[in-house]
Amino acid sequence: MTRRRCINLLVMTAALLAGSPAVARAQDNTAPAPATSPAPPASPAPMFSAEARAAGASDSVLQAMVAEIERSKAKLKMEGVQTPYFIEYRISDIDSAVANATFGALQFEQHTRARILRVVVRIGDYTQDSYFRQGEGVADLAPNENDVLALRQQLWLATDRAYKATGEAYAAKQSLSKEITVDHSVNDFAPATALVSIEPLVKLEADATKWHKPLENASALYRKHPDVQSISTSLRFTALNIYYANTEGTLTRNGKATYSLNIVASTQAADGMRLVRSPFYMVGSSKELPAADKFVADAETALETLDQLRAAPIVDEEYRGPVLFDADAADDVFADLIGANILGAKPAPGATARTTGEFASSYKSRVLPDFVTVVDDPTQKSFQGNSLIGSYDFDDEGVRATAVTVVDKGTLANYLIGRQPIRDFPASNGHGRAAAGGPATPYIGNLFLRSTNAMSQAGLKKKLIDMCKDSGKPYGYFVETLGDQLSPRLLYRVWVSDGHEELVRGAVFNELDSRELRNDLIATGDTPLVRNREGNISGTVIAPAFLFDDLEVKRSDAAKPKLPDYPAPPLQSAK
Amino acid sequence: MMRSHLLPRIIMSGILSFSLAASAAGPAPDSKPDALLGIMRTELDRAKTALAKTAPAPYFISYSVYDQDQVAIVGSYGALLASGGGRRRTADVVMRVGTPALDNSHNENRPTAIDSGLLPLDNDPAAVARVLWELTDREYKRASPAFLKVKTNTAVRSEEEDKSPDFSTEKPQNHVDAAVAKFPFDTHQWEDRVRRLSAAFRKFPDIYSSAVILQISKSNLSYVSTEDSSVETPSTLVRLIVQGETRADDGMELLRVETFQALTPDQLPSESEVAARIEKLAADLVALRKAPAAEPFDGPALLSGRAAAVFFHEVLGHRLEGHRQRGENEGQTFTKKVNQEVLPEFLSVVDDPTMRALNGTPLAGWYRYDDEGEPAERANLIDNGILKNFLTSRMPFKGFSQSNGHGRSQPGLMPTGRQGNLIVSSTKTAGDADLRKQFIEEIKKQGKPYGLYFEDIQGGFTLTTRALPQSFQVLPVMVWRVYPDGRPDELVRGVDIVGTPLAALEHITVTGDKQEIFNGVCGAESGWVPVSAVAPAMLFSEMEVQKRAQTHSRPPILVPPGFEGTSAAAADSQTGSGVKP
Repeated sequence: MTRRRCINLLVMTAALLAGSPAVARAQDNTAPAPATSPAPPASPAPMFSAEARAAGASDSVLQAMVAEIERSKAKLKMEGVQTPYFIEYRISDIDSAVANATFGALQFEQHTRARILRVVVRIGDYTQDSYFRQGEGVADLAPNENDVLALRQQLWLATDRAYKATGEAYAAKQSLSKEITVDHSVNDFAPATALVSIEPLVKLEADATKWHKPLENASALYRKHPDVQSISTSLRFTALNIYYANTEGTLTRNGKATYSLNIVASTQAADGMRLVRSPFYMVGSSKELPAADKFVADAETALETLDQLRAAPIVDEEYRGPVLFDADAADDVFADLIGANILGAKPAPGATARTTGEFASSYKSRVLPDFVTVVDDPTQKSFQGNSLIGSYDFDDEGVRATAVTVVDKGTLANYLIGRQPIRDFPASNGHGRAAAGGPATPYIGNLFLRSTNAMSQAGLKKKLIDMCKDSGKPYGYFVETLGDQLSPRLLYRVWVSDGHEELVRGAVFNELDSRELRNDLIATGDTPLVRNREGNISGTVIAPAFLFDDLEVKRSDAAKPKLPDYPAPPLQSAK
Repeated sequence: MMRSHLLPRIIMSGILSFSLAASAAGPAPDSKPDALLGIMRTELDRAKTALAKTAPAPYFISYSVYDQDQVAIVGSYGALLASGGGRRRTADVVMRVGTPALDNSHNENRPTAIDSGLLPLDNDPAAVARVLWELTDREYKRASPAFLKVKTNTAVRSEEEDKSPDFSTEKPQNHVDAAVAKFPFDTHQWEDRVRRLSAAFRKFPDIYSSAVILQISKSNLSYVSTEDSSVETPSTLVRLIVQGETRADDGMELLRVETFQALTPDQLPSESEVAARIEKLAADLVALRKAPAAEPFDGPALLSGRAAAVFFHEVLGHRLEGHRQRGENEGQTFTKKVNQEVLPEFLSVVDDPTMRALNGTPLAGWYRYDDEGEPAERANLIDNGILKNFLTSRMPFKGFSQSNGHGRSQPGLMPTGRQGNLIVSSTKTAGDADLRKQFIEEIKKQGKPYGLYFEDIQGGFTLTTRALPQSFQVLPVMVWRVYPDGRPDELVRGVDIVGTPLAALEHITVTGDKQEIFNGVCGAESGWVPVSAVAPAMLFSEMEVQKRAQTHSRPPILVPPGFEGTSAAAADSQTGSGVKP
């Protein structure tokens, strides 16, 4: 810092401007001339409350945002383009460590620090505005350092670009709305109340380099499993702090750390079928990471199951009947078939649907059995001792989070929604979420499935066997874990005769869709599993095991890749 | 297409995906690099033997491992936008199936001959071999069907004009250089320096976008092939890049870039020297904003050595790249001009990657072995105006069956003939004062109101937002009107060279007597490679220019942060640009 002071008086100017007195002065300049009364001038209410100013004063990023957003709101004006009615700034500060190892050796490691800003400027008004195509905002890098003037410089340029894009975007949107008939008029943007909340900054609490050795050790296990073709282990530890300000007076800062460990191993069966295992940990606290030994043991288990899969029989016969999904598999089904369809994303202009998802026309209709209720509650921080990474107090549009009952006793009661209204949902329920530098869109926080028809795991297995017995089937299916597109990775036949489980491979489910979930889910487990989901936006699903009474299991018709054209190199002694 | 500088936009877009990391705690580079060569050789031999039994079988396989240790520090406006680095090892597997006469790399199938992946960072023999095996097996599964496709296509298509084979025959190479020289590097000290240098732009409200970038890349190439070549050769790249950007009131984008190149960070110019160049660059931009826009012009032009160097790189150098002489979609400007006069007879052009420095200045295009493991050679391209040779890789073309060590690429891409150090020399020279005198005489003789002096030409495509048409390959930035009546020179902006730039080469009448160096990075089909271009100043009796097409963007509406209430703010509101604050 001392070095930078030598630059010149500009730094001092910056320091002055960043403080609230200068900001207040800038705003006074734009106020109407005061009346002759000695009372405070009848200027517009200040954008940020005294509380907000005080809270932001200790943070250079917030200072820069406040200074630049106030100046922009007051002064941005270009001939032929309206002044902005709304501006928002979001800066995502990412501190991230990644590493991966393969075949017992570290292959890549990196520690990245970056700040990414996003600026949205809207002209028009809440009923119709310029948020359309190029008018949806501008993203850029922001300085990594707490230099107010340098931060403001990047915000200034991004704001200028964003504002200049609004004119054409607004015109394009208006001309489009003249061409198409709109059945239900829905506002473009929902007002929100000002929120001021400055939470402590979050830091990485785990040393990623200490995990390099366990990554190597886990990936070295291929030596014990000569048929395994590839193995890669990796980590990603991320601390994300988000700064947000808008011209409605909202000023927030919040952070979250996530820690993930991944194992990806694959092989081919003798017939060429690709077999993959990819267990992972995704936790919201470094304390919840497994012990290194446990991680290596999990890799060993994954490789053992690959060996077993290679030897497992292929599913040849079509099956239609009861299938039990373990909670791990059920979580994926829940996330894909419910989580993705309850998002209140606004469809393209002119579309008659309410949202873009499968439940677009299901509002107040039955979408699940009546013993199931689904609630998204971002305010819940943990569940049964597990941190929920989908938790937050306010979303990425500065709106306070609320628990939303999405499906009430089987009936769709709500969509998760941000500040872009959809028909019948004029206001945000605190689910406007964004990836760093990306636009806010509706997304899940912590999505809970609650069931009034819950059974123990043993009870579910017994029921599976009983149902098969009743319908004269020699076996039922139990799926432990899923891969891409809800295809089973670990699938077992549960034999009615003695209850033993037999691993099989090469199967897919036919028509595992939301209709199946609504009509054929007959019971759930009683032990919900927390699944923190890896992705650009953090979310968590919490669901128990699922028992379906009627699901089709058939042979996959995926092409089988050729086997290696020559054998792997012989093992040599480790370094 | 030379992209002779890195814009922050490019860096920014790539920032998360690759280069910038805050710690470089990776394992230290192995002290015995040839250990890696041994592992590579063993695995390559195994692959060769095993795959020989397949049909169709590869006749050539090579492994190239680039062990790269990189640092990038990006500063803007006194603060760091990014700082970090990291080490990575990229392995390229090149495989040719068929015969040298016809293989899977034929024509548009060239990318099927290469596959890449990341290798473990240290020399764990089992792990390194295993990854190479995975890559080789995967590459075979691409290359073999590609060859079958090539065979079918060749059978059904009409005969190609150039029936040269797809791969040249060369002598095996065995060469191991010492590993990359270590040099001290104090990250914090350099971060501070980048901050300080970038803060200089805070004084210039008109230069609204700027960056100072330090780039260091230490790389070691290990190469083995089934032809029994084994090559290990290091390279380093140390660059300090300064750039500023502004816009004239009519929306014209104006960009200035300065690059400093050295072999080690310590050899870069001193901080005060760079600071002075930044002041100059900033002053240039401020002057450019106010300068009149160029008018269409056809008449005498004088190019500075640097400008001439870039001009030759773009206009001549790229057209002498070997693969452009046989590509069916190539212009092939020079293909049939071998042994003909293509330049005035007092000009000669060589490309000499073996030159490490010129008059004490390091040359960026220096290397010992190219990316196909061939030794770098001085190529006499144009001898006293007569075209003699091209920049050749191992892709033969009519009349040129051998590589002259110019097969270059960035990791992951197939090498093609590329420039290294392009050096233009002249036997008809004049001193600076004499050159200017001749320039003014030429203007008078032609009865022109003025001539144009090109002080600086930025590289061609800048990869910004504009996709320029193919003909616009050079971007002059500092151009002056020189009046014959003794008036002071006048800066103009937005000059575009039009017509066929090549035709202009015939109009060179005399050159300066000092060679100037342009160090940069050149991007083309085979990726980014460091290059130099060297040339003396040149007098053209005729060059045609026009006013550059401009964007509709306006300068920023508000004054920069920190300039509210200053004279800059007042000046800005008086520009009459149609933008009102």
